[in-house]
Formats: sequence, structure tokens, C-alpha cells
Amino acid sequence: MDTHNHPAQLPRRKRSARLTLAMMGTSAFGLTACVEPAPDEHVTEVSFDEPRSFQSVEECVAANVYTRSACEDAHAASLESVPRFDTLEACEAEHGEGACTAPNEEQAEATGGGGSWFMPAMMGYMMGSMLSNTNRGRSIERVYQEPVYRNRQNQGNWNAAANQATQRVNQRNEAMRSSVVQNRQATTRRGLGTRSASWGS
Amino acid sequence: MLRVDIPERRAWKTLANELGFHFHTIDGAPYWKEDAYYQFTLEQVEQDIESPTEALHEMCMELVDKVCHSNALMQRLAIPEFMWDTIHHSWKAGQPPLYGRMDFAYSGNGPAKLLELNYDTPTSLYEAGFFQWVWLEQAIEQGLLPRQADQYNSIQERLINAMAHLGDRLEGRTLYFSCVKGSDEERATVSYLQDIALQAGLNAPFIYTDDIGLQPGARHFVDLDHQPITAIFKLYPWEEMADDTFGRQLPLLDTHWFEPPWKAILSNKGILPLLWERFEGHPNLLPAFFEDDASAPLAAGWVRKPFFSREGSNISLITPSGEQQTVGGPYTDSPWIRQAYHSLPRFGDKHALVGSWVVGDRACGMGIREDVGRITKDTSCFIPHAIV
Repeated sequence: MDTHNHPAQLPRRKRSARLTLAMMGTSAFGLTACVEPAPDEHVTEVSFDEPRSFQSVEECVAANVYTRSACEDAHAASLESVPRFDTLEACEAEHGEGACTAPNEEQAEATGGGGSWFMPAMMGYMMGSMLSNTNRGRSIERVYQEPVYRNRQNQGNWNAAANQATQRVNQRNEAMRSSVVQNRQATTRRGLGTRSASWGS
Repeated sequence: MLRVDIPERRAWKTLANELGFHFHTIDGAPYWKEDAYYQFTLEQVEQDIESPTEALHEMCMELVDKVCHSNALMQRLAIPEFMWDTIHHSWKAGQPPLYGRMDFAYSGNGPAKLLELNYDTPTSLYEAGFFQWVWLEQAIEQGLLPRQADQYNSIQERLINAMAHLGDRLEGRTLYFSCVKGSDEERATVSYLQDIALQAGLNAPFIYTDDIGLQPGARHFVDLDHQPITAIFKLYPWEEMADDTFGRQLPLLDTHWFEPPWKAILSNKGILPLLWERFEGHPNLLPAFFEDDASAPLAAGWVRKPFFSREGSNISLITPSGEQQTVGGPYTDSPWIRQAYHSLPRFGDKHALVGSWVVGDRACGMGIREDVGRITKDTSCFIPHAIV
């Protein structure tokens, strides 16, 4: 069943390096793996810049937002997390006919080369950066990334598409709406969630 | 996969209480237990859990697409007709999901078998994503586990990334969070998600699901200050939403819901026979059939589940050797499925269930529940795991 072919490199770590709580509990909490904990540290502010999508390292560098090494790291990390397959058939079995490709030279190089493998065609990668201020005044900056490689993730702009759908529904219901007396304070509640039981699963 | 005894961390209950984990003990009975842990190898995690989870997730997405384009299948899943368009459009518009959990019977040998999907209102998130991670870090620090011990868990990190991406698409970077009144555990789970949203730079106000308001003529549901709710997370299932007093308003208003309406297709156990029908023989699937399917050929040993059941309620089973077990509950008014019986692995008198987490489209972590019975319930204990 397993067709993933991870390159023989560093041992893969399966857990996050650092986790923090921002607000839960009486004292917020932060820990970094394999480093002395800082029990009183908590994040006071986190800001993200808008993630941008790039097709290649060159395009990322040209955008003049990140350094070349950040672009390369994010690209390589994105590639790391793209599923790999030993054969084209195995990849297509999971991702659909014509959806898979062998890595190009840049992609092969970014992951240290070696072996032959296949992956779902990568449409690019998303990059953004995160800046955290803690109560100790330290800032932790890191770049986060996500590969963009599946057709489903490229269905276009979610809001634009959703607006079209709701527009259609709105038109259908315009007649109903215009007949309703507009009283903005006449709010009804207790119309959802009224079966107070436990729903978690 | 082994169950290994291990000393508890010093004063972990105090820490749990400080970290908002008040439901570590429920009605006097332990829920979180750390006098043992489940030990996995990296190969078991990657080959038997992570990789099949992503493959099954893709199969589920394929089925959602199929059901969205078929009124007959919508009907087969007992989804009310007034929701069909909404579900279809939420899928076609690419409304993003946040997370889900697959439950597996896995013993360490042979393929993990999918028992069910929890893709609409999954819980045990805080325990798996955060407290379990803290346990591992501290167990290493206190010398209870070797330094190279690891854990299959980037759940919280993935959620932060997913929320950060969502943030740009949300009006005012605002996502409301909601659950029904009366459950500490669910309120805590939602608090955790709010915490994650804050860390991702979102505004994350809370409103009880029961307090969500409807105004004549308004385009959105409203909060307690009559302000529009443009996007909201709900820990409350779609089938109940649709059945509620405001249910028929759901398709008419522009409020974005998380999970999106298309998750209604996956939160329904009818998806299990549909998966088997389309991918029959897949090593990670168990044979499953609609109960009203007269031709259903199930061998001795089966599990009977209602379409809509949570925490093991209304499930009954009979093993191939004739042992029976039933859990009662309120879910008696929906159709039923039958699934081939596949035993959970036993460690002493405990049966272990693997919950495999998906954030967006990626598998990213695992949580183990155990119970003396063969059916995992809301009282089943959470036990941490480690890769050693």
C-alpha cells in the first residue's frame, strides 16, 4: 500500500518544534522542544503577513519580499511535504490521471536529488511570515509555507465563487426579502443549537 | 504498537488545570491517563497511519464530489432536499474545511481499518494537539522517555497555518466560534480553537450556538449585539442545524460556516457503504452496506450504526463468535448501516482506537482512546503515544 518514498536524509521529526497557548488557562504556556522551558513566557501579539503564492524560487526572489535563502528553504520544505510515489501509476491512482509528474531539475535539486520518484504536479507554494511578540519582549520570526499542488486547492477565489452562489440564492429570495418588514432590532434567537446535548465526536 | 507502563509526570493535574484542561477527569473518572503510553515505530506511523489517512481523505473528497452531483445519493444519505443546493455550492465554490478525524482499528500489524469519519464535529483535539505534545516534551525532560522519542503530532501547527491562510479570506479577519451551552468539554475544545485562531492573527469572538440571532431582512445571522456574523465555526452537527428552527434560513443567508456545508456528506455513516461500493476491496476499508440493501452479503460478525451517531451511541455489534454489545442513546430516527466486524486490538483488558487527524488536506497527528468495551464512547480514556 505504501508508496511514499522519502529521501534518505535527516531522521524525520514527526512533531512540532514549538507550541504555545495564547489565552487558555490562567497562565499561558510555551515550550520549545529539547530546550529549557520558559514557563512564564506567553505570546502577546502575533502578526502574519499575507501569504503569497509563488511558482518557483526565482519568482519568489523577484518579488523582493524574502531573501533568496528563505525562498529556497520554503520551496524545499514545500517539496518535502508533497507526497512521493515510486511509480507514476501509483501517484495517478491517488491523484488522478495526468495529475502527476516527475520532479524537474530545480525540484530534484531542492530535495537533495537521488532516486527517481513521482509527485502530484505542484502548482507552486505559498509563503508567509509570522512575527510573535512575547511578554519577554522577544520576537520569533519564522516563515511558514504550504505546497499548492492539488486541483481542488486551485478552484479559484473562495469568496468570489461563494459570492456568486449566494448572489444566485439572493436573487431567488429577493421577493421574499423585500416583503419582510425591515426591523433590525427584531432579532430572534434560540433557533440553532437548541438540542443541548454533547455533540463532539 | 505496544502499550507501555510509564510513571506519571509530577503534578500533571495542576498543570492541566492551569492550561485549561479541566476535563482531564470527568464525573470523578479519569479521562486523560498517563500511567501508560502507546508506543509506535516511525514506519508504523508513516506507512500504516499517515499515508492511508491521506489516501482515504482523497477518496472521501472524490465521493463528496460525486454525491454533490447526484440528487439520488443526497437522498440516500437522508440529507433534506432544501440543503442540497447549499451543499453543492459550498463544494463547488471551494469553501475550505478546517479539520477532521478518522477512527481506525489498528494493531501494529496489517492495514489500519477505517471504522468511521468524524469530519464535522470532531473533539479530543486539545488532548491530541496540545496536552499530548506537552506530555512528550516533559516526559523527555524528566527522563521518563529517551531523548530521541518523538510523537506524530503537528496538529496545532497545521491548524495555525490553516487559520492564517483562512484569515485573509475572512471579512475583518474575524471568525466567530460557537458550541451549545452545557458541555465543559466542548467549550474547552472551542476555546482551544479560539486560542489557535488568535495565534494565527484572527479575531476570534465566541457566541453560544443557542444565542445566534436571526433578523428579518438581514443577510447574515447576528451576534448578541445584532452585528452580522460573516463567518463562524460551530461544534454542532449539520444534520441538527438543518433540523433546527432556523434550519430553513441556512441556505438563504450569507454566513460562512466551518465546517462548510459539504461536510454534511462526510459526517454521515452512510458514507461508509458508499466508500465500499466505490473502492471495494481497498485494504483500509471494511465491507459496509445500507441496512435496507436486501442483497447485503455480510459474513458473521457485524456492527450496526445509525447514520447520525456520536461517541458510540446507538451502536450494537456481534462478533463472529457471537458475543454481543450495545450502547444506548438518542439516535434512533435515522437509517442504519452495517459494517463488517473488525476487532480493536486488545492490550490487557483495554481496546485501543487510533484517531488520525487531518487538517485541510493533510494528515498530521494521532490520538489514542481506550475502553474496556469494544465500543469507544465519550467516557473512553485518552492515552498519549510516542514514537520510540
